[in-house]
Amino acid sequence: MQSEDFTSIFGLEEKLATPEPDEQTRKEFAAGVRGVSKSFSGTRVLEDIDFDVAEGESLVLLGASGSGKTTILRIIAGLEEPDTGRVILHGKDVTEMPARERGVGVIFQSYALFPRMNVEQNISYGLRIRRRPRSEIRETVDHLISLVRLEEHRKKYPSQLSGGQQQRVAIARTLAYKPQVLLFDEPFGALDAQTRVRLRREIHSLLKQVKVPAIFITHDQEEALELGDRIAVVNAGRIEQIGTPDQVYNRPETEYVATFLGAANLLLGVVNGELVEIGTAQIPASAELERLRDGQAIKLVFRPEDVHLSKTGTLPPNCRRLTNGIIEEINFVGAYERVMLRLDLVARQPTEGAPPLYNVTLNSLDRRTGIPIIVTRPKTEAATTCLRVGDRVAVGLMAFRVLPNYALASERAGRIIDVHK
Amino acid sequence: MVRPLSLTAMIAMMLPLVLLPLASIFIFGTSKGLGSFWAALTAPEAIFALKLSMVTSFWATCFNVLFGLFAAYVLSRYMFWGRTALIVTISLPTAIPTAVAGFSLLLLWGPYGVLGQWLAPYGVQLMFTPYAIVIANIFVTFPLAFGVMMSVFETMNRSLEEASATIGATRWQTFWHVTLPSLRGAIVTGALLTFARAVGEFGSTILVSGNLAFHTQTAPLYIFAKFNEGQVEAANAVAIVLALFSFFIFSILFFTRDWLDTE
Repeated sequence: MQSEDFTSIFGLEEKLATPEPDEQTRKEFAAGVRGVSKSFSGTRVLEDIDFDVAEGESLVLLGASGSGKTTILRIIAGLEEPDTGRVILHGKDVTEMPARERGVGVIFQSYALFPRMNVEQNISYGLRIRRRPRSEIRETVDHLISLVRLEEHRKKYPSQLSGGQQQRVAIARTLAYKPQVLLFDEPFGALDAQTRVRLRREIHSLLKQVKVPAIFITHDQEEALELGDRIAVVNAGRIEQIGTPDQVYNRPETEYVATFLGAANLLLGVVNGELVEIGTAQIPASAELERLRDGQAIKLVFRPEDVHLSKTGTLPPNCRRLTNGIIEEINFVGAYERVMLRLDLVARQPTEGAPPLYNVTLNSLDRRTGIPIIVTRPKTEAATTCLRVGDRVAVGLMAFRVLPNYALASERAGRIIDVHK
Repeated sequence: MVRPLSLTAMIAMMLPLVLLPLASIFIFGTSKGLGSFWAALTAPEAIFALKLSMVTSFWATCFNVLFGLFAAYVLSRYMFWGRTALIVTISLPTAIPTAVAGFSLLLLWGPYGVLGQWLAPYGVQLMFTPYAIVIANIFVTFPLAFGVMMSVFETMNRSLEEASATIGATRWQTFWHVTLPSLRGAIVTGALLTFARAVGEFGSTILVSGNLAFHTQTAPLYIFAKFNEGQVEAANAVAIVLALFSFFIFSILFFTRDWLDTE
């Protein structure tokens, strides 16, 4: 891709007229949403949505279908009106502005290429309706076509292009009129896995070149982790957490975030000084217990790849021992081994008012009553230390999170501890 | 070659029903030779009748395309109370017998009609003029054009218009560049259907026009009048022209239906 030519298209010109005075302090971000709420036919779809996208940043809105993430995108684009809240683009409040005046670039899930126009005409559409001089249009279109590498296809119609090619046309079409922010609505949904991965990388590097801020919508956590500079996890109309991929994956703040972004094991317990008590098992957790009170009911969340199993009982130095367990199942999954084992802990029926806890149990091959957890072991480790079904192993955790266990939390899938981190 | 029984049965049914009557027109019309046929066809009354049919149908078609497009656009894009009732009302005229349609127009616009009585003192008389024919044509054919365009509007992908809006186009620019090109098939179909139907319209025309030769006598009315007078060759000649014309229109619709149907 010709990166040298690109700044010449975008230049350094002013994007907008003078910004609103009361937003002066917030000029640093490119796009922002403040306190947006929306209901459709009486159903609350969005609740108090608040986030920023910095200049040149990629933000991913990650959530399940129906979580409201598409609605957020449409509100930013101006295709829907929020019930409350503001949308700010480059310091200017655009909430009252119609979509056509906002200067946003939307890449729809179906790409929405105009079927009666060929590639060139689609890309030049934005400039033609702005009545730009023909030479400027030609130059811009040529640049963009070579940028997205569709030179041999410039006279083709959308029906003659593959999904990936159509998407590139859709992107070029928005870049032609220098949008303030790019909005991608599940851009990779309709593509096969290989094309998806390849296009992801291409778009990621393309965005870094053009320095246009972008907001992506997806339900695919792998995509989110790869594409986003920051990820906002959306659940039932609320943002549960915003952070870098590392923060969101390794330091999830709610159970929903933990389980949405990858497999997670969950155990219930209680805080006891510097320890977390899971039944009679104890695990030291001074760092993780920072914001929690003694005696508070908690959830222990840890990822399968952060568990270490040892037949001899010795664990590496950075690993904290949880308890023992028996291996129930081992599956070979290519790059790693997935182990299902039962801990020497069994769930006890919670009594009125008391948090649910565990009793100690001893598993054996016949009596499998302990709590099951999933562990993954990389190929190298599996090869050196061979484990078999029925082995009793010591279970140690290299990393974990401790989240408060509110009584209602299990219904609402987690509540945010501290949104202003 | 042995033909299956069902094929024979189908041909046996189609023959008297459809093919034979049409063939009779051609057989009879040319039975006295082409010269006689040509004389009957070029009679001044016949020429006028055919021209009148074409002109009135043309204006009805223009109206239908423009207003049908407008109506389909508004009714498919805006939700309001009474919308369904309005759509049904617009589509109703095709269900009414054409004689009833013509009669109702007379009751409205005739010299003693509901509205006509207010126009009569000013010497404005809409009925029994070519204008009446155009009005009657529109009344019975509008649902055809409207229906065709409405169905395209409803199945059209809304995100195309949204994309155009986010790119910065005005409503008019979007309509012209994005919506209209997708409608060209529907416009052509609607126009052809209207035109063919209007040319052949009889029931409403005979009531509102008064069937005055050289004034308001369209081709179907001419056939009817000449047959009643016993001038069978004259009626036959125009009948052949109308039949050929209808075949022509419908073969266009048939052979270009793929192009017309493309989204």
